[in-house]
Amino acid sequence: MNPTPDTTAPAGNGGTFDPRQAAALLDHTTQQARRQFAPAQPWLLTIRGVVVLAVLGAVWLNVRGQHPYQHPTGAVVPFVVAFGVLNLIATVSVRRHATAGISGRTRLHPSEIAILALTWIAAFAALAAMASAGVSDAFVFGRFPVSLPLIAAGLAWAAIWATRSDWQSCCTGLAVAITGAVALSVGPVGAWLAAGIGLCVTLLGTAAYIVWRQHRSMVAP
Amino acid sequence: MTTDDLDPLIHVPTRLKIVATLAALPEGDALSFTRLQDMIGLTPGNLIIHLRKLEDADYIGSKKTSNGSVTITTVALTSHGRRALDAYTQSLRDLLGGL
Repeated sequence: MNPTPDTTAPAGNGGTFDPRQAAALLDHTTQQARRQFAPAQPWLLTIRGVVVLAVLGAVWLNVRGQHPYQHPTGAVVPFVVAFGVLNLIATVSVRRHATAGISGRTRLHPSEIAILALTWIAAFAALAAMASAGVSDAFVFGRFPVSLPLIAAGLAWAAIWATRSDWQSCCTGLAVAITGAVALSVGPVGAWLAAGIGLCVTLLGTAAYIVWRQHRSMVAP
Repeated sequence: MTTDDLDPLIHVPTRLKIVATLAALPEGDALSFTRLQDMIGLTPGNLIIHLRKLEDADYIGSKKTSNGSVTITTVALTSHGRRALDAYTQSLRDLLGGL
């Protein structure tokens, strides 16, 4: 298919505008617009999927020799924090660029952004409270740090997009929450690896779905 | 099915691009005039002419909002416009299937 059909045909009654040209132009314009409007870009999702697996895999390697379980050592914590910060910056800037000039359901309302932020803060506040209450290291530094935020943020994300009937984003949120639930169930060491694999699969699956949807032809069956 | 059966309002390259671009947004979303202009690559005057034709047919709706001293115009495909594009796409499929 010619990706750049002639768009200079007379804009009169369309008599010289061949149907094949029209089909090619319709497909090209639709695919280009879908790519530009996508708030989550497949390339970014793929990079995030690979990096999250590497970071959480490194934590798993770091803690798997501990008997009894204590916590990840200082060597890997900066990588986890750096990944979190970079991930947030990249996600927000790409989303802002893609949704520039768009108003309506695609944009998150400030109240929804506040709910998502509060969900994260509440999850880590609960962890801090548990640590000060003397809950065992296996829970405070093992099962919970990775599972609680994923369950809380995943469910909040899914609920926000369900109210807008955006089922792809809703499913992504549910997959993140399920990843958190699986991580919670596999023990303090395995939680890190389970979360890494679950998030990687979720992000790569979402990227693949977006690529498929962006390249789907409007005219061809 | 012949080319004459295709919706003449949409079967024009520039207007097809406008309608296809707006249809790529989820229903209920609107796009600013300036971003649409960037994406379509038309002069403001040309774009306004095509938008007016589409608006007269109720294929698109436009809204002006004032933000301090700046007025922002947004454009959105109406449900009627979305149905017209679906019908146009189906006609294209039928036409190309018969060629």
